[in-house]
Amino acid sequence: MDADGAAIGALLCSGLTVARGRAPVLRGVELEIPSGTRTALVGPSGAGKTTLLRAIAGLQPVQSGTIELGGQRVDGLPAHRRGCAVVFQEPRLLPHLDAAENVAFSLRTAGVRRVERRSRAAALLGDVGLDGFGRRRVGELSGGEQQRIALARALCAEPQLLLLDEPFSAVDANRREELRALLVALQQERRLTTLFVTHDRGEAAQLGERVALMLEGRIIQHDEPSVLFERPSSPIVARFFGSSNILRGVIRAGAITLGQCTIPAPGPDGEACLTIRPERVILARDGPLELQVLETTYTGTHTRLRLGSGDLALVATVAPSLAPAAGAHVRVELPIEDLWRIPLAHEAGEVPAQEWDLT
Amino acid sequence: MREPRRIATAAAVVLFAAPLTVLVIQAFAEVWRYPALLPQQFGLRGFRVAFAEGDAAAAVSNSLEVALLSTGLAVLIAWPAARSLAATRGRWHGAVLLLLALPLLVPPFATGTGLTEWFIRLGLAGTRAGLVLAHLTVVLPYVLLVLTSAFSPRVVELEEMARSLGTPPLRRLVFVTVPSVRAVLTAAFLLGFLVSWSQYGTSLVVGAGLPMLPLTLLPFIGSDPTVAAALSLMFLVPAILALVLASRATRETL
Repeated sequence: MDADGAAIGALLCSGLTVARGRAPVLRGVELEIPSGTRTALVGPSGAGKTTLLRAIAGLQPVQSGTIELGGQRVDGLPAHRRGCAVVFQEPRLLPHLDAAENVAFSLRTAGVRRVERRSRAAALLGDVGLDGFGRRRVGELSGGEQQRIALARALCAEPQLLLLDEPFSAVDANRREELRALLVALQQERRLTTLFVTHDRGEAAQLGERVALMLEGRIIQHDEPSVLFERPSSPIVARFFGSSNILRGVIRAGAITLGQCTIPAPGPDGEACLTIRPERVILARDGPLELQVLETTYTGTHTRLRLGSGDLALVATVAPSLAPAAGAHVRVELPIEDLWRIPLAHEAGEVPAQEWDLT
Repeated sequence: MREPRRIATAAAVVLFAAPLTVLVIQAFAEVWRYPALLPQQFGLRGFRVAFAEGDAAAAVSNSLEVALLSTGLAVLIAWPAARSLAATRGRWHGAVLLLLALPLLVPPFATGTGLTEWFIRLGLAGTRAGLVLAHLTVVLPYVLLVLTSAFSPRVVELEEMARSLGTPPLRRLVFVTVPSVRAVLTAAFLLGFLVSWSQYGTSLVVGAGLPMLPLTLLPFIGSDPTVAAALSLMFLVPAILALVLASRATRETL
């Protein structure tokens, strides 16, 4: 905490607006990242995630709104005076320098002596798992190694805020896990305020202490990962996090009628919109709902079932060994503790109904 | 597979080297009477005459000064122009490039004659400043057209990286931009230099008798081949140096 009581490195954006030509890209973004914490910014392509990151870094002019970093307004400052380091999607290393000089880039431009900057770079290379790589040329490094160097370079600048724009998307899946773990370890060790952009909800859950969902230029929900997955604030949020089970009806005396069947439901009586994650839908011999298996899809880790009966449609995921055949009739239980009642106020939606890729 | 390539390389070397060898021999030939294959006597008469009658010293220094100044100015002017041309690929991109290349299509004599009219009124005719400006009109399009290819999105990306890591503008230029475009920048500078170095038409019209290397060389070509060859050597040395430097600069960044 500094003298004004504002946390050092805390980020606060309010009312950020960016337009590209006449098309709005950011429509009044509100985002707060407490000092020393990690937020994953997730959303479909074109939602404005990268634009927001660039606006915070000062690489993208904004039409209106304010950005505070460590309690100071930074939206009027040029990028190089904001103290945000960016790790981009591509490594953006300087090909005429070796690995150590790339890591020590910020020291090099600040006029730090060669011996000192190379020893700092060597320590940072060790931190990112590239011990002894100092003399390597950029061209000799793999994509993952280059991205590790980009990360070390950002850390070397000792930023107030670390911004990462899908930095691991070009790295193959197995290496990506390692890099995520490395990033979390480095962030925690240094208590760096961090914003991580990704379009992958699984990556967002793994990386963010908190996850912010962005749709069409607005932050829709910003909370702990489990809240976004299990207690979404709107059907759109539920769908983005992989739950397309949206059940509408009226709750009377603690129960809701779905199709021909009535099951216990949470909350007070009245109109309701319920959601349940596909992995929480239970196939049970004595379940109250009877549905037909319309389609089965093997995904490698589990089997996804599309179930239906009249207007009622559900998606369930089960272990492949337990998956019924398509066309079979199954009984299903929806445990009341796994049913989440989406607040109706949000359901009408600040976000207009729209189509995006839900795969 | 490799034989034809070797023969082609050898042929290229011979074709390039043969006239040069003759030129070097000619320059140092004191007495060379037909039908001898080599001169009967070697000496430095060619260079002596070139410096005494041809004003070679003044010509070399004038040419060098004008070439360096006009190319330097051209790079300074072309740099921001090339940046904005590379950044905004608008509908008129092709048309703008064509307009910029126009001076290349007009014979330098014509440009020079037009300029002289104005330079006489402005008191620039026959001065070095006038020559620099006249050469600039010819050098600038070459430099600009080469330099436009330097500022790819990659350079902009590297500059963004530097901005986000706290590098102020001037240091960004020194540590990121110039090293990133060094090969193209060198090529543009050397091409500009050579264009100015070998400029005949504009120098003749605007220079009003100011000794420039291509101008002093010409009268000797018919009258005294040895002096002409000596002057040609002086003319060639910077050109060859430029070529070697350019090829080294491009190789290092590749």
